[in-house]
Amino acid sequence: MKIFYQTYSKVKKRFSSFLSRFFKKKRTRIGIYGPPNAGKTTLANRIARDWTGDAVGPVSEIPHETRRARKKEDIIISGANGATVTIDIVDTPGVTTKIDYHDFLEFGLDRDEAVIRAREATEGVAEAMHWLREDIDGVIYMLDSTIDPFMQVNIMMVGIIESRKLPVLIVANKIDLPEASPARIRSAFPQHPVISISSLDGKNVEELYEMMIEWFG
Amino acid sequence: MPHKCTKCGREYNDGSTEILKGCASCGGKKFLYVKEEDLHKDVLEEKSIDEISKESRQQVLEVKAEPKKEVEMYDRVETIRIVGPGSYELNIEKMAKGDERIISVGKGGVYNIDLLSFVKDTPKKKKRRK
Repeated sequence: MKIFYQTYSKVKKRFSSFLSRFFKKKRTRIGIYGPPNAGKTTLANRIARDWTGDAVGPVSEIPHETRRARKKEDIIISGANGATVTIDIVDTPGVTTKIDYHDFLEFGLDRDEAVIRAREATEGVAEAMHWLREDIDGVIYMLDSTIDPFMQVNIMMVGIIESRKLPVLIVANKIDLPEASPARIRSAFPQHPVISISSLDGKNVEELYEMMIEWFG
Repeated sequence: MPHKCTKCGREYNDGSTEILKGCASCGGKKFLYVKEEDLHKDVLEEKSIDEISKESRQQVLEVKAEPKKEVEMYDRVETIRIVGPGSYELNIEKMAKGDERIISVGKGGVYNIDLLSFVKDTPKKKKRRK
């Protein structure tokens, strides 16, 4: 009898894991990428707050505030027509080709702090690239629309994302600022959908959610 | 046989590697291969270098421009260059390809190769819960 129950429970376990493979909710892991200070964490925080009530990480004016990738799982985004998408958001450190501690000194950091920040930021870029290779299903590529998008690093990153055949949504952020020029970003990446938002004041964020459902769902 | 710059006429010894960077005087990129005895013809007989070229039936050699520095930067072998304490240059294209790390220190061509990063088993992609 005991043996029967043991076998029964084993079979049951197997069967349920077999079923769950088919019926578990579809989940997409979305990485928020972009150069430092584009507003990646601000957007990640907004998405997390709008749909789960939590936050992802601290933000600051000093570049490379996010030096470790942070993940928020199981965010269910629902659109106006009732469609939903379940995503994991990965907020990544800003990707750049040069990190120099001198750039942090002007923000009032002392030398030692700045040197440590530079080292951690370097590790952070490596980590962001690792995630991109291993565990990302789609990318939100975030750009500061007050800054020229034709920087080597952006062209290179979008190229890398394209070569990995990941769906990418380009977000032109900071449109609340007067000098913002989302049109410039649109002309830089005509092959991808571009949406202009302000992740700080939430302008157009609803449209972004609709696009995410359409694009990553 | 020596080379002569077609622009300013400066002469270079045979086999000179200097001309690969262009003429040291005028930066010209075109050089003519001239016979020893014809070397000073342009001055002595007031001939243009073009005329000497036609006379001697030698082709003008054009030194190709060096590739742009920027291209070279992204062709680099290292993943991270440590320029100084707290100052780094990152090769994100290299990072996108793998976790292997080659770190160079300064501009002098000193490299550290993280051998362990080359032999590490790549973690198998986790099965997605879908």
